[in-house]
Formats: sequence, C-alpha cells, structure tokens
Amino acid sequence: MTDVIVAGVGLHPWGKFPHKSWVEMGAEVALEAVKDAGVEWTDVEAMVSGAMQWGGSTGMRSGNTISAALGETGVPIANINNACASGGSLMRAAYAMITSGMHDSVLVIGTDKSPKGYFPSVPVLADEPQPPVDMVRWQVGIPNPAYWALEMRKRMEAYGSTEEHLAKVKVKNSRHGALNPYARYRKEFSLEQVLASPMVCDPLRLLEICATSDGAAAVLLVSDAKARRLGVNPPIKLAACSLASGEFGDPTIRIPLLSAASDDAASAPLLSESRLAAQMAYEQAGLGPEDMDFVELPDNSSWHELQYLETMGFCDEGEAEHLLDKGATTLGGELPVCPSGGFSSFGEATMAQGILQIVEVTWQLRGAAGARQVEGAQKAITEVYGAQANNSACILTT
Amino acid sequence: MNRIPVLEGSFVSEPEPALVGSRCRSCETVAFPASFTCPNPRCMDKDVAPAPLSRTGRLASWTTVHFPPPPPFVAPDPFVPITVVEVEFASEGIQVVGPLTGAGADELRMGMPMETVVEPYYADRDGEVIGWKFRPAEESNDD
Ligand SMILES: [Zn+2]
Repeated sequence: MTDVIVAGVGLHPWGKFPHKSWVEMGAEVALEAVKDAGVEWTDVEAMVSGAMQWGGSTGMRSGNTISAALGETGVPIANINNACASGGSLMRAAYAMITSGMHDSVLVIGTDKSPKGYFPSVPVLADEPQPPVDMVRWQVGIPNPAYWALEMRKRMEAYGSTEEHLAKVKVKNSRHGALNPYARYRKEFSLEQVLASPMVCDPLRLLEICATSDGAAAVLLVSDAKARRLGVNPPIKLAACSLASGEFGDPTIRIPLLSAASDDAASAPLLSESRLAAQMAYEQAGLGPEDMDFVELPDNSSWHELQYLETMGFCDEGEAEHLLDKGATTLGGELPVCPSGGFSSFGEATMAQGILQIVEVTWQLRGAAGARQVEGAQKAITEVYGAQANNSACILTT
Repeated sequence: MNRIPVLEGSFVSEPEPALVGSRCRSCETVAFPASFTCPNPRCMDKDVAPAPLSRTGRLASWTTVHFPPPPPFVAPDPFVPITVVEVEFASEGIQVVGPLTGAGADELRMGMPMETVVEPYYADRDGEVIGWKFRPAEESNDD
C-alpha cells in the first residue's frame, strides 16, 4: 500500500463573505492547493468535494460547479456530505482512492456559506408519513447547543467541572486564534470576559459555542511515488484516516434525536463514534496518543474540547479539566490543543472545517505556522464531530 | 383552537398522559419516538409494536435555552427561556428530552422524579401545537 502524502494545501480566511460565492471560495483554495504542490490543474486525477450553501445538511452543492469554473477535465468527482464530519469523510475517500492505487493525485475541497445563528431545519418537505425528527426537535424547541449543554451538566455532576473550566477553554483557544491570520475571531478574551458573555444554553455561554462561518479549504493528496517525482519537500504523510459512526447503546443524545440509551442501561461509551475513530486511526498509523505532539479536535463548544481529550485517548474520563488547569493544552504546554485557534476562533463551516485542520497540521509539520508554531512538531491527530454520530480522525507525520 | 400533535402517535393524553414509543417483541429494545423497526444491531427479528413508556422517570440533566429557536417554532415576544430536561425511564432503558413545565430550572435537582404531561408548545395560524413536557412529580416507590 502506497504512503499518502500531502503535496499542497490551500486555505481561505474564515468569516462572512456576502460578496463572494461558495464556488469562488472553493475554486480559490483548489487552485492554491494545486499551485502549492507545484502541479497543473490538469494534473489532478480526481476530486472529492463537500460544498454547502445553506448550512446544516440541507444545502449541499456540487463540486462539479467548481470544476466547471476552473475548467472541466472529465475527472471523477465525488460529492460527499457527512454533516460536520464531512471534511474528515472527504479526506478518507481521497485517502482510499490513493492507497487502493486507483489514483495518484486527488484534490479534496471543502467550501461553505453558512447562515447566521442556529442551523435551520428543512424548509420544504416531501410527502412522508411523519415529519422528520429534525423538524420535531425544533418544534419542541431544542437547538444544537442544548444537546451539548445536557451532556455538560452531567459532566459537572459527575466530575465537579465548573463554569470556569468552560471559560478557560475559550480563553486558551482565543489566545491561539489571535495568532492565526486566517481565523475569523482574533480577539484574545480574558476569563472575566468569557464569563460575562450571554448564557445561550446553560452552562454554555455565547463565547463557549462556535459560530457558523463561511470558509473553504483544500488539500492535494498524492501517492508516495508521485510525491517523489514532484520533489515534495518536506513530504508530510497522511498516516491514517478513519471514519466511524455511533454504536447502539451509546447514551449520547445525538443531534437531532429525542432520546438515547439511558446512562444506566448504556452498552457503549459516550461519543462512541469518537472513541472508535481515534482507535482506528491509532491502529492504522501504528501510533498512540502518547506519540502525538499536538491535536486539532472539534471544539464546537467548550464541552467538546473537554470530552474529546478523553475520547481521543489523551486522559481518563473526568481528567480533561486537570490537563486544562495545569496548562498542558496551551501552546508551549505538553499537548497543545487546537493551536489553530480551533472552531471557536474560526466558526463552523461544516464541509471545510475538517480540511482546515489538515491544512493547519501540514503547516505545523512543515514548521511554517508562524507565531503559533508548535516547537518541533512531528506528529499530530485531528478529529471532527458530525451530527447523528459521525466522526473522522486523521494522523499526520513528518 | 385546533390542537395539532407535534408528532402523531408519540404520546397519549388519555387515560393519563404518557409517551408512546415502540418495543421489540423479540429483544425488548424500546425506541422513542416509535420506530418501524428495532434499532438493536444484534436483533434480526425486528418485530416491533407501539408501547407506552412509564409515566414517571428521573431527571438526568437539563439546560435552559436563552435564545428563541428558529421557525417552525413560534417564540413569544418577548422570548421566555425554555428549560429542556432529559428524563431517564429506567424500566425502558431510555432517556428522553422535552420541555420542562410546572417548575423553574432553579427547582431542579439531579435524580428527582419527573412525570410526563401533554401541553401546548406554541400556537401558529393552523392551531396549537401540542406535545410532551415533563414536570417534577411526587416521590413514589413504583418507578
Ligand atoms: Zn429487537
């Protein structure tokens, strides 16, 4: 099986770009990634695209439009949507195309335009015997952060976590994001400022929940042989790329569902999809959490960051707050978490955010991350979290 | 006013308010809302029938939503925060989310008994959308 090498990356700044279309943003990063690899547009053998125009999972668009904009070449284009885990799912599809020997160069593109505020429900419905559960949960009045808040309250009860812990995650990520010119939010917040931000779904405050952004990112993956022909230097290796879904009996209340296995009757762990995706990636790479120099995880909310440190194997249950308290997760600490600034500094762009993580890790492993560089970084893991139990993990090494 | 169930068949008001899910006749897995099949991957019979859930359960978690949900929800103006609770039904092995009624969030404590009621969520031009809510219940020995 050939190694898979990241030959080129492209990243659009995150924010709100009302005068720029998702096609323009996607085309821009696509071309940037291709040029970064030192190849021509016509060298791309296949494309995997995730494009969203309306946010949530209702606004899926086609990468063929981007290809048509830049020049149609007849290559296969797979369009993939796996909610907020789409980026990782796109990466995995491309990874499989290369490891299988099907293609030597695959371009991965994620591009999003997101609406403001809560992701909305489906506006027009086909005839069905029952309304979809996603509609019902909005009628009941349960926005996405409420699902996370319900889990966080349990965490507080079980481990004595405090509102201050949630705020500290944001303080740390805002410090990282302030160093990243691509981040949408580059303001550094103090603990007091975070704790003074409005409560959205208690205990989660506005500054502890990521916004919804416009963003785009692209990565050109190539086979080992192709990378050598191109003289890719340094060759950053995509050592693992996994995708997992939830297990029956997981007690996590999943967006947009209305029930879950009870904690007492649970036969699978909380966020089973994250544990599985991380385990698969470690096995694939022949590495463990102890080998990672830093991590980009899905900090959709401060709750996620705490929980994912555990599901990704960096500490036991209930110990993430301890890692945070002792400064391990900050730049300069023993395990920097989200040196990019994370989704809390970028905002969610469901298709592109998983690819954003790959771009960030590539820059870090190239030693090209500027002020937010993790010193001597050689190995890192990323994970994205998708609605209704989708998780994808990637491990990159120098 | 016309009363419209938020999800047909997901609850009953008579003789007493209760959630209605489905239960597998073979492996006894309970789903809510009711499913046309059994979600247990190790069950191949998948022979399900509607099943009312226990009327009372225990409070497993809660959160108060401070910003109005988007349509189709019709939020009052000014918005009144909604407390969403998660209630565990031990005999069914399931926890269900729904709005709190009959108490404030400050009166909640983990593990307290909660009972199912049926109340309006909001009204729109078609009528009043009704569904399940949970309210604190008396301690009892039978749940
Ligand atoms: Zn069954």
